Parts: sequence; C-alpha cells; structure tokens
Amino acid sequence: MKNPILTLALRRLLIVTVIGLGLTLLFNEGFFRLQRESHDRPPQEVVLLIPEGTSQRVAQGEPVPSIPEEMIFVVGDVLVVRNQDTESHQLGPLWVPALSSASLNLDEPMQYVYKCSFQTSSYMGLEVKTPTTLGTRFQGLFLAAPATIIFLFLYSLLLYPLQPAAPKAVGGDSSSEYVRQKKASESNLDKGEK
Amino acid sequence: MKTRHYFLLGVGLALIFTAILGATVFARPYAYQGSIIDPPLQVGDFELVDQYEQPFRMSEYLESDPDIRAVLVFFGYTYCPDVCPITLIEFKQVKTLLGEQAEHLRFVFITVDPERDDPEKLRRHLDIYDPTFVGLTGDQTRLEEVWYRFGVFQAKQEVGSSGGYLVDHTSRVYVLDRNGDIGLTFGFGMGSDAMAQDLRQKIRQSTR
Repeated sequence: MKNPILTLALRRLLIVTVIGLGLTLLFNEGFFRLQRESHDRPPQEVVLLIPEGTSQRVAQGEPVPSIPEEMIFVVGDVLVVRNQDTESHQLGPLWVPALSSASLNLDEPMQYVYKCSFQTSSYMGLEVKTPTTLGTRFQGLFLAAPATIIFLFLYSLLLYPLQPAAPKAVGGDSSSEYVRQKKASESNLDKGEK
Repeated sequence: MKTRHYFLLGVGLALIFTAILGATVFARPYAYQGSIIDPPLQVGDFELVDQYEQPFRMSEYLESDPDIRAVLVFFGYTYCPDVCPITLIEFKQVKTLLGEQAEHLRFVFITVDPERDDPEKLRRHLDIYDPTFVGLTGDQTRLEEVWYRFGVFQAKQEVGSSGGYLVDHTSRVYVLDRNGDIGLTFGFGMGSDAMAQDLRQKIRQSTR
C-alpha cells in the first residue's frame, strides 16, 4: 500500500491527535481546577451509626450528638446505617432493624428531607450531588477530544495542504532538482500558451 | 512509517479505548436500588390464614416449592385508597417484567386491618390483580406478632366518611429469601422497573 497522500494524511492525523489530546486535557483540567467544589470526590461508603439508647434519648426529646441533621453525598455513594440500638429505626426509605444495618445506593442527584426516627426533629436532610470524578474528567476528555482533533486536522489542511515529497533525482539534490524540473515545465507551458 | 503501520496503530488505539470503556462500564458490581439489610433479619416462622381459609405457614410454604427464590411481602388492607392498590399493580408489573424468571417469585399480601379483611374479602380483592397472589389474615394477636417482627406500623384513622376508617401503615415491600429472612426492602414509589432489576439480580444470586 503506497499512497503518498494517504501516508501524509495519516501522519498529520497522528500528530494532530497528540496535539488535540494535549490541548483538551489542558483546558479540561484547567477549568476543573478553577470550578472545583468540596463534594468533588469519588463515591464512597458513608457509615452513619445509630448508638445504643437512641430511641430512649429521642423519646425524651434529647438530641443524639453523633448524628448530623443534614448530610451531603455524591452520586454513587452508599449510605450504610448501622443500628446499635435495640429498636428498629427508619430514615425515609431505609429501614434498619435493631442490631443490624441497612444500606442504600444513592444513584441520582436529589435533595430530600426524610422522616427519620433517630432525630428529635423527626426529620433529616439528605442531599446527593453529582461529583466531578476522574471518570467524569476522562469522559469529558473523550467527548471533547475527537471534535478538537477533527477541527485541528481540517484547519491544518487549510494552512498547510498535503504535498507529497519531491521525486528523488539521481545524482543530485532531490529538492533542487524537483524545483528545477517544475520551473522548466512552467516555462514550457508559458511558451506553449504564447 | 508506512501507511499500514499508521493503520495498525489507529486500530490498536481504538481497541485499547474500547477495552477501557468496556471495563469501566461492565466491571461494576450490581448496585441494588432497594435497601440491603445486613445481616438479613430473621423474622422467624409465622402462621396465618390465606384467602382460601387455609392455614398458611411461611416455612412450609417455602419448603413446598423449591423454585421459590424470593417472596415479596407487603402489608396493607383491601379498603386502602392509594398505597396498596399501587403496590399490587406494581407487583403485577414486576411479574410481567420478569417473564419466565417470575416463577421464582411469590407475592404475599398481609392485612393490617383484620376487622374488615376476612379471607373472602381478601380473595375477591386479590382476584382483581392476580389470583396467584397470596392474601393473609388472622386474629389480631397473631397479626400483631407478625407486624412487630417485620417492624410494621399500623394505626386506625377515623375520617368520618361513609367508607369507614382508614389505616395508616408501613408501605415498604419486604423481600424474603429462601430461609424466610429479610435481606432486601423496597421503599414505596421505587417503581416496578427498579424492583424487577433488583429481583432479577436476587434470583441470579440465589441460583448460583
């Protein structure tokens, strides 16, 4: 397979791919650093502990210091509620039998106030945010890179059209020979026209 | 570098990219949409009366059919205007969605209103949705014991209407495994699609 134009085009595409990937990476990461938020972390398991005697404290109207009133999660987090109390507890859709644990996958962004049996206020706020993870950044890179590469490739064709290398002259400098032959053919053309 | 080399390099890069993408998407373990109880809660055996006025014992029910992989248990009452009909319709949809796999599932409806839900009433009510659904009732004491074990809340609400009282009750769906333990629960409003996906996984796991 010896097509000089195709070889040149593929070589150009390879160079442009490297440049395009580099540029996209630079812009993506730059903007990520600028707009980064505290919840931009990979999903993880978040454990909430209901200590023994919680139901008694709640019945007496006393708060349980170890349990926050609001929790912020990121999509993909797993909320695990460990119940060390002797009574079962409930947090919205989550039902945790006594001395057991229940887990819930937080798969989509949401902001809820759930009815809750281990808060004196009877309610607990849960917020699930979409994080910008390494995966998201890679996804961004792979979405933006092809378009950038195609754009750069086409732009490069406009600025520097593909030209096959000059034919190699026997016993002389190939490029100067090529220029000489080209000039000769042009002058012949001019003579013919006249 | 020859054209063929560039071509091979391109194909190689495309293959690596596809492999990374595939590994990211398919290597993830299944994430249940319902709530997992760990360790599974042992509710123990119980005996009530089904809609055909026959005694129903959970342990015998599970032992009688080796095909059973999971039993969906819901607590409700036949006069319920909202949550119970929706859940029973969802049960029906889950059954349809699971197709042949549904033969590994059973659906049980336990009343929270024994005063009005006798076997005959339960039978007529469940026939509307699916006659294979099991309806259970019994005397107040036995039912209270079952409600307690499942952590079910129920309270009569006098609304002063001609239809009589309403019953506030837990709207959760409990998924019992072959041992009769609760390992998974579905909150109300989770939807039949999500339930079917979780149950498909549950059946797959218990078949291994």
